[in-house]
Amino acid sequence: VTSRGGEDRSKRSAGIVPYGLLSPGILWLLLFFLVPLVTLGRTSLSVKASRFDPNDIRLTWELSNYTNAIGDYSEQFLRSFVYAGTATVACILIGYPIAYVIAFRGGRYRNVLLGLVVVPFFTSFLIRTLAWVNVLSDQGPVISVINYLNLSGALESLGIMSDGRLLSTHTAVVGGLTYNFLPFMILPIYVSLEKIDIGLADAAKDLYNNGWQAFRKVVLPLSLPGLFAGSLLTFIPASGDFVNAKFLGGPRNTMIGSVIQDRFLVQGDLPTAAALSFMLMIIITIGTLIYARMLGTDDLI
Amino acid sequence: MSALAAAGVVGPGLLAACGSDDESAGGPSNALWHDNWPGYMDEETLDLFRKESGLDFKYTEGFNDNNEYFAKVQADLAAKKSIGPDIITPTFWLAARLIDLGWVQEVPFDNIPNAANLVPSLRKPSWDPEGRFSLPYTSGMTGIAYNIGATGRELTSTADLFDPKLKGKVGMLLEMRDTVGLTMLLTGQDPATAAFADATDAFSMIEEAKDSGQIRAFTGNDYMDDLATGNYAACIAWSGDVLQLSLDDPNIRFVIPEEGGMQWSDVMVIPQGAKNADNTAAWMNYLYEPENAARVTSYIGYNSPVEGVQAILAAGDEAQQAQSKSQLLFPDAATLDRLSVFANLDPEAEAAFDERFSEITGA
Repeated sequence: VTSRGGEDRSKRSAGIVPYGLLSPGILWLLLFFLVPLVTLGRTSLSVKASRFDPNDIRLTWELSNYTNAIGDYSEQFLRSFVYAGTATVACILIGYPIAYVIAFRGGRYRNVLLGLVVVPFFTSFLIRTLAWVNVLSDQGPVISVINYLNLSGALESLGIMSDGRLLSTHTAVVGGLTYNFLPFMILPIYVSLEKIDIGLADAAKDLYNNGWQAFRKVVLPLSLPGLFAGSLLTFIPASGDFVNAKFLGGPRNTMIGSVIQDRFLVQGDLPTAAALSFMLMIIITIGTLIYARMLGTDDLI
Repeated sequence: MSALAAAGVVGPGLLAACGSDDESAGGPSNALWHDNWPGYMDEETLDLFRKESGLDFKYTEGFNDNNEYFAKVQADLAAKKSIGPDIITPTFWLAARLIDLGWVQEVPFDNIPNAANLVPSLRKPSWDPEGRFSLPYTSGMTGIAYNIGATGRELTSTADLFDPKLKGKVGMLLEMRDTVGLTMLLTGQDPATAAFADATDAFSMIEEAKDSGQIRAFTGNDYMDDLATGNYAACIAWSGDVLQLSLDDPNIRFVIPEEGGMQWSDVMVIPQGAKNADNTAAWMNYLYEPENAARVTSYIGYNSPVEGVQAILAAGDEAQQAQSKSQLLFPDAATLDRLSVFANLDPEAEAAFDERFSEITGA
């Protein structure tokens, strides 16, 4: 079947039609990706001629924008990747079992369960994050329960709480990232699990694998594309996020997104903001390529 | 272009001055838009003014932080485009910057006879030497706010903010001149004549407090929520905000530190390119009518720049009489003596201060 399909496709590939069909997409990419990318690159190599006029920037191939940015903000870069990485792992640990249950044990409730995963999206991202500010606040319900159970000492020694609070700590920021990006992990994993023929796992068991071995050797490898997609959809936006750090974190939890936001929107320092954005993009691209190779899913890119 | 704009302001202004009280007849448009800080206006005054003037008056609370606001409008102002509002209310140092850059136009004082009620101490400030481009909206004091339930004691000094017992419960402001100014007073330096080198100790103190986790957050006007909900035990705060909060929670108190506090004013300016500059006089004149100023002051809890407000409140109801005796609303000479206004920084010094401060606030 595949070879016949292949023949058909090779015969059809000639002519102008495919390019015509592609042109809206190409135009879109040119206008909204390539042009901004070049502008961003240009700005990142420019110098701001006037402190107060953001339009007055001059291209001087200012490589020091990059070296200064690395020198000043390597801490925030590192912190962003640690936070985003932790949140991604937490999303996998929470999201995979949920996706698994929905795909294999959901039965006729499958659509309802999927709906429940998506329902929180009906409320704005910002409102959901701000709600956590109230939930975690010093006089809020979570701290009350922790104090009632006398757990704060234990949680502090684990580094989860500090100074008797959860709000304005790294725990709150990572927790917020995990919460906000969890559906982006569940949905792609679900899609790849749902396509797996459950008979394959049964066959593995028939061949003397126990349940865990069947999962590890058959189901998990087949769901890797979903896991890969979910990790990217979580890690990439999470590492550039600033909303969670702003509302749930303190001045010691700033992420690179916070710095870019501040440089761009508060200080009006476009060249530094552009250099930071560019570096973030390059680091993430390289990271993604390495990750794809490690998981053996490079054909996806 | 700017000469034409100036002529445009003066021309209809003079005509209206010769005409009736109905200022809306002076301009072709019936609209007016004032962008201000949150908690800076009572609904009653807005309603009364809308009725009296007949203007289609839009009032918004777009200010949370001066730098943030400046970043929002600077591209348009630099390109000589309208930013929307006809009156904006930056803090004095930002107003100074806007005047220097030539991004604001003259206030139509010919049509604001009530501007004569401006208190003498705020006339012709060093950054607007002829007083042509700005009209103060309100003044205020920066000191320490605290929740006595959380601190367990009265606070008296900025040093209390660095007390390890309050670790993680202390807030500071993103307003550099307030946070650094107060800390400079603590380190024995005078913010009124600040040079960058004088602030070295203050900056290190703030930086150490941030690194140790003493400071929970640097915020703009949104600090009020943290104080009200108890996330903060103490913070650097603006007098009127605390006065408003203390009505709901008497545990929330305000003190001008014994080393001294800061004083500032937020001033009305008319951005270049404002579409309804002709209508601004009606509103400014209304605000400078002592009766109206008293109503606004009574609600917002800041220091009115209009003379005669204290006498009107003293003749009012019981609550207003109490307000007329409040040291927060009408500080006496001894209190005023303990307040400093941050120096008018030249652009290089300002850049150095801002850069160092943003390095610490970490964002």
